[in-house]
Amino acid sequence: MTGVTSSRPRLRGLFAIAAVGFLALLLNACGKEEQAIPIALAGPFTGNAAAFGDKVRKGAELMVEEVNARGGINGVKVKLLIGDDAADPKEAATVAQRFAADARIPIVVGHLNSSCTLAAQPIYSRAGVVELSYGSTNPRIAENSPWTFRNIYRDDVQGPTVARYAQTILKLRKVAVFYDNDDYGIGLKTGFVDEAKRIGLTIIAEEAYTRESTDFTPQLTKIRAAGPDAIFISGLYNEAALIASQARKLAIRTQLLSADGALSDDLIKIGGQAVEGLILSVPYVFSEEDPFAKRFKEKYGEFPDSWAGQAYDAVGIAIAAITAVGPNRAKIRDWLASRTTKEKGYQGVTGLTVFDEHGDVKKPVFFATVKNGKFVPAAQQLPNG
Amino acid sequence: MFLQQLINGLTLGGVYALIAVGYTMVYGVIQLINFAHGEIYMFGAFLAYTFAGTLGVPFYLAMVLSMLCCAGLGMLIDLVAYRPLRLAPRLAALITAIGVSLFLQNLARILWGAQNKPFPHAAVPAYLHETALRFAGVTVSYLQLFMFAVTLAMMASLHFIITRTRYGKAMRACAQDRVAAYLMGIDMDRIVTATFALGSAMGAVAGVLVGVYFNVIFPTMGYTAGVKAFAAAVLGGIGNVPGAMLGGLVLGIGEAFGAAYLSSLYSHGIAYAIMILVIVLRPYGLLGKREGVKS
Repeated sequence: MTGVTSSRPRLRGLFAIAAVGFLALLLNACGKEEQAIPIALAGPFTGNAAAFGDKVRKGAELMVEEVNARGGINGVKVKLLIGDDAADPKEAATVAQRFAADARIPIVVGHLNSSCTLAAQPIYSRAGVVELSYGSTNPRIAENSPWTFRNIYRDDVQGPTVARYAQTILKLRKVAVFYDNDDYGIGLKTGFVDEAKRIGLTIIAEEAYTRESTDFTPQLTKIRAAGPDAIFISGLYNEAALIASQARKLAIRTQLLSADGALSDDLIKIGGQAVEGLILSVPYVFSEEDPFAKRFKEKYGEFPDSWAGQAYDAVGIAIAAITAVGPNRAKIRDWLASRTTKEKGYQGVTGLTVFDEHGDVKKPVFFATVKNGKFVPAAQQLPNG
Repeated sequence: MFLQQLINGLTLGGVYALIAVGYTMVYGVIQLINFAHGEIYMFGAFLAYTFAGTLGVPFYLAMVLSMLCCAGLGMLIDLVAYRPLRLAPRLAALITAIGVSLFLQNLARILWGAQNKPFPHAAVPAYLHETALRFAGVTVSYLQLFMFAVTLAMMASLHFIITRTRYGKAMRACAQDRVAAYLMGIDMDRIVTATFALGSAMGAVAGVLVGVYFNVIFPTMGYTAGVKAFAAAVLGGIGNVPGAMLGGLVLGIGEAFGAAYLSSLYSHGIAYAIMILVIVLRPYGLLGKREGVKS
């Protein structure tokens, strides 16, 4: 009995020491966590564009990991804060509210879908935080707000380039157009159709559809009757894959064209044989020897697509900005706006980012095709492309 | 082109009809609009995907298994969610149905992921995707023929069950007058359970057919299909089985022609416009009968 009672105080003391030690550890950990600079990353990590979001997150995480391995920004680590907009403008606005209200966040990298970037735009502008999109191509995006930047071309560049490619390289004459009825699909389609008319391509049909449609046979049947040389799909990979497979089922064997919205492994997974030979415009195509592609493959066991590269670069630009002027929202904006010459531009894995007065970039448009179930650079690129 | 559009419309309309009978049967018996029915259709597609794609079960067997599982799921939903509310106000059961629908949708998201999935090519007999008939510029695939055949067979057997069997008679009796049926010694709960099983099996078949036809399945696929089939059931006169079949076909064909001759953007809107028009002109639906108010 006495033994037990005498050991009690000692035990209590031990507990106290352990508790203090644990608390100190916890505080220490919190302190470190608090110190890391949070960079917000917004994109479609679930929903009908989730395949993009997956690559985006992987690309962004790789950049953060590499920067932290080099000691972070002046010795301070960086971390990502993920915001999922599910490719839905309503969700994008919610995510934007959350990020804008969090004063620790110096810059938001996102969103991907043009409709999401546009929906979030007024919220970021009001709060005075930069929205740096890695994938929104709708023409109006950067012009609308001094707080919006992007490291990808505009659809009034991409669309016309596809039209010129169709005419000069593929020698097509009659094209039918399918477009997603959102900011991306319409912006891209308009760019394509305007240029097509200017250079003498005939547009024999323009068919709109809504996201998550699954039946395109009525429109395809109508298009088949008009006998096009090619079908241009201005939309995202899910619907592009369905349009392709339903076209093949209706014995439409014409050339299929699309743009960067179709650039996802899911296009091939869903479209299978039907998307073989489809040609699409993309921000960048990585070769097997590309050092970034190798690092990416080593970490994730899969090959990066343009979106992984675009997100990697966008996070890189955000980190460069914070390195230069510190985690200050207004200063970051001014610093980005001053990146207007080649010398001041950011050299990333997808090319050089130099902003114009709106926050748009001039980056070339590349062409890729599906060959044996993989995206490869198209045999021919446009000379200035 | 006209003929091709008609065939496209019939293919889709048959599927709507298969789902619509599920709505209409349940409504006929317990006056409940089972909003979770669209999700049963979605589960049908995903279960067949798992059986045929992941477990390597032959396609036709996978389809039957998926039907059986969904019949079980339908019975389970009734047992857990609707039976305790049988005597509650109708609104309570309706809201429960919406809850069940959301629950199943998110369950599918957890089980299979949120992304669109292709129906594995290897799991489906290759000839189904080939062209069976080609005449006057019209192409019909084996799959379309298969869909017609399955839809017809399902409809015929359903018609047989309802008009020629004891269960069918009991079901019709319940639909006509629940209390009188009960007084005649009909076990209400058994009839309702069987109705859920039958309707769910039909919905599952529709899910599998659509999954293979469009070659894509996703957790929210039941929503649009469910709403449209519901429209088809109302169009035909809710509670009326042949009406639901007719409503489905009208809706499918209307949508195909709408997309072809008006604008594809409005194809969903056209379906609802047809429904509204019919309801305005014939409030009890195409084949619905005017009923006296039950006391």
